[in-house]
Amino acid sequence: MVYKKGFDLIKAYPTEFSEEVVSVRYSGQTENFSFSFPEKKVEHIIINLCPTEPWALPHWAILKGNTINFLHKLEKVRSEYFPDSPCRIVVDRCEDELINDLIRYGKKKEWLHTFSMKPVYPYDAPVLIIKNVLGLETTFGENPIDHGILLLEPQTITGIYEHYMLKRETGVRLIPISGTGLHENRILKIKPGTPVETVLKKYIRTDIKYRVFFDGLLNGTEVEDLSQTVNWSVKNIVVMEERDYKTPFPYMKTKELGSTTSLMGELRRCVYCNYCDDICPVNLEPALYWHCYSRGEKQKARHYALDKCIECGLCSYICPSKLELLQVIRECKSGS
Amino acid sequence: MKIFKSIEIILDNNLNKAEQFVQSRPKVNFLFGALFEACDGLIRSTKDTAKTPPYIRSNMDVKQYMGGVLVALFFGWVVPAIYFYGFLCVVPKLIVSFAIGVFVVDVIWVVLAREERINEGGFVTCLFIPALLPPQAPLWLIGVGAAISILFRNILGGVGHNLVNPALLGRLLLTICFPAIVVTGWQEPFTEIPTVQSFIHGVDAVTRATPLIVYKEIGETASYFSLLFGSNTGSLGETCRIAIIIMGVWLCFKRIANWRIPVAYLGSVFIFSAVLSLLVGNTVAPPIFQLLSGGLIFAAFFMATDPVTTTYSQIGKWIFGIGCGLITVVIRSFTPIPEGIMYAILLMNLIGIPIQSLILKIKYR
Repeated sequence: MVYKKGFDLIKAYPTEFSEEVVSVRYSGQTENFSFSFPEKKVEHIIINLCPTEPWALPHWAILKGNTINFLHKLEKVRSEYFPDSPCRIVVDRCEDELINDLIRYGKKKEWLHTFSMKPVYPYDAPVLIIKNVLGLETTFGENPIDHGILLLEPQTITGIYEHYMLKRETGVRLIPISGTGLHENRILKIKPGTPVETVLKKYIRTDIKYRVFFDGLLNGTEVEDLSQTVNWSVKNIVVMEERDYKTPFPYMKTKELGSTTSLMGELRRCVYCNYCDDICPVNLEPALYWHCYSRGEKQKARHYALDKCIECGLCSYICPSKLELLQVIRECKSGS
Repeated sequence: MKIFKSIEIILDNNLNKAEQFVQSRPKVNFLFGALFEACDGLIRSTKDTAKTPPYIRSNMDVKQYMGGVLVALFFGWVVPAIYFYGFLCVVPKLIVSFAIGVFVVDVIWVVLAREERINEGGFVTCLFIPALLPPQAPLWLIGVGAAISILFRNILGGVGHNLVNPALLGRLLLTICFPAIVVTGWQEPFTEIPTVQSFIHGVDAVTRATPLIVYKEIGETASYFSLLFGSNTGSLGETCRIAIIIMGVWLCFKRIANWRIPVAYLGSVFIFSAVLSLLVGNTVAPPIFQLLSGGLIFAAFFMATDPVTTTYSQIGKWIFGIGCGLITVVIRSFTPIPEGIMYAILLMNLIGIPIQSLILKIKYR
C-alpha cells in the first residue's frame, strides 16, 4: 500500500459498474433542472472527467463512447453563456484514447485545453484541482466563482444544453449506486425528487444491515431517513454493509471487513505514527489538532494552519488509533 | 474450508456467551472483564462502526502496528539468540518477562486502576527486557526489570503517553540498583553447526568482555565479520546484527518504524566518530567498529524508533536521531562507560519534548 500526499482509492476499492444504464420509474413529484448562472465574470472553466473516488460516476457513462458529441455540446454552451472563458478539461492520464480525442478536437480551438492527472484521491477536490490546473491558491469553503473560476460537472453541461438551449426537459440525472450492501453496482437514470428507498428498492440486500451514504464514503453524508429525496446535487449513492457485531479472525478477512463500515480496530490514543501527515494532500499535521482537542484547547488548533484543511477525510481513514480526526478538525474549525 | 467455517461459528457463539456472562455480572466484570476483552480482541474484531465520516477505515490498527514490532523483534533477536545461546538460555527469560510483566503487573494494574483494557504494548516492552541484558543475567533480574518497566509504563499512561522508552527506563534502574550483575556475564556465543545438545543448552558458559569494553581497555577492535554475524559477545539481543538490520529495514518498509531515525542515528554516529577519531586519535573508536559494536543497531532500529517517545514532527525526528548519535559517540569515547546508547536515547526522549514545541513554533509562526 503506497500513499504519499493522497491515496489511490480506486486501486484500494475497485468498483465495477455494469455498462447498462437503467431508468428508475417514479411518478411522484420531481424537481426540474436549474442552473444559477454566476453574476461574476467567469475567467476559467474547469471540467473534471477524472473522478478519483471509485464510487463516483465514471466518465464513460457521460461520454457514451462519443467524445465529439459531448465536446460539441460544450462548445455550444460555452459560446452561448461564457464566450470569453477558456475551458480546461481534466482527464485521467492513462486514458490515451480520450486524451487523443480531446487534443485532436482542441487543435483548432484555442479555448480548449486538456489537462491530464493521476486519479489519486482527493486531487479532484476544488482547492487542489484549481491549484494543479491553474496554479491559483484558494481556500476550502470558498466559492471558486469569487476567483472567477467555474467548476462544472460534465452532467451539468449536458443539463444546460438540453434545458436552456434545446428547451427540452429530460429531468434525469445519472447517479451511480455501489457498495457491499447492494446485489450489483449500477448506474441509474434518476429523476431528482425520487426518494432514496425507491431508487434502491430493486438492488438492496435485505439479508444484512446496511447504511446509505450520499457523495462518497470519505467526506459524504449519511442518509438516515430513506424517504429523503435525491436532488440535483447528489453525485452518487453508496450502500455499505454495517457490521455491528464481532467477526472472528479479522486478520484473515481484511478485504471483506474493509468494505464495511467497521472501524477495523480499537479506539486508542495517538501513537505518533505519522501516517496522517504522510497521507495529508495539503501537508498538514492532523495529529496536532487532535492533541489540541484532547487537551481542550480547540482555539489553539488554528495556529497550525487549520484553514488549509480541505476536509478530505484521509487522516481519519488511515489513522491506526481510529481517531475521529475529520470530526475533530470540523469541531476545531467551528469552535473559535 | 467447511470445517473451518463451522469451528468459527462455534467459537463465535461461545465467545458471545462468555461475553454476556462476564458483562452481566459486575464482580466478574471487575476482575476479569479487561482480561476477557484482551483475549477476545486477539481472536475477534471490534463491534465498533464508523459513526462520523469517513465511513470506511483502513485495516491498519494499533494491534497490527505493535504486532509488526513483535514479529520483527522475534526474528531479529529471539531466533538468532536461540541459535547462539541455546533454547534454555532464551526461552525461560522470555517466559519470566512476559509472565511478570504482562500477566502479573499489567493485569493487577488494569484491575486496580480500572483501565479499559490490557495493551499489547506491554508485550513489546517485555520482549525488549531480556534483549538488553547479558546472556547470563539471572531470571529474577529479568523479572524485576519487566516489573519496573511495565509499572512505569502504566504510571505514565501506557501507549500514547510514554515520556521515555519504558524498557530502557527499566534497564536504567537495573543498572543503578544492580551495577555488577548488569555488566558481567557476557557469554561467548555458539558458532558451529547446531546439534540437539547445543540447540537446547547452548555451549559451556565461557565469559569474555564485549568488544566495546575490550576497546576501552586495550584499544583492540574485533573483526567486523564476527560483529555483523553475531559470533562476538554482547547483550542477548544485540549480537546478530545482520538479522536486526533485515528486520529493521522490513519495519521501515512497512512504515511501522520511521526510516529517518535509524538513518539519522547510524549516519550521525558514523560521521561524528569519523570526525572525532581524525581529530582526537585513538580515544575514539573507528566509525565502522562503532556502528557494528554494542547495541547501536538494535537500538537504532527498535528502541529509538518507538514512535511515542520521539518527536511527532518529521524534522524533529532527524534532530532526534542526530542528537542520539552525538551523545552515543561522546559517552562511548570520553567517559568511563563503554556503552552509551541507553543514556543517549533516554536523554533524547526527554529533549524531544522541547524540540517538538520549538519546531512547531518555527514552522507555524
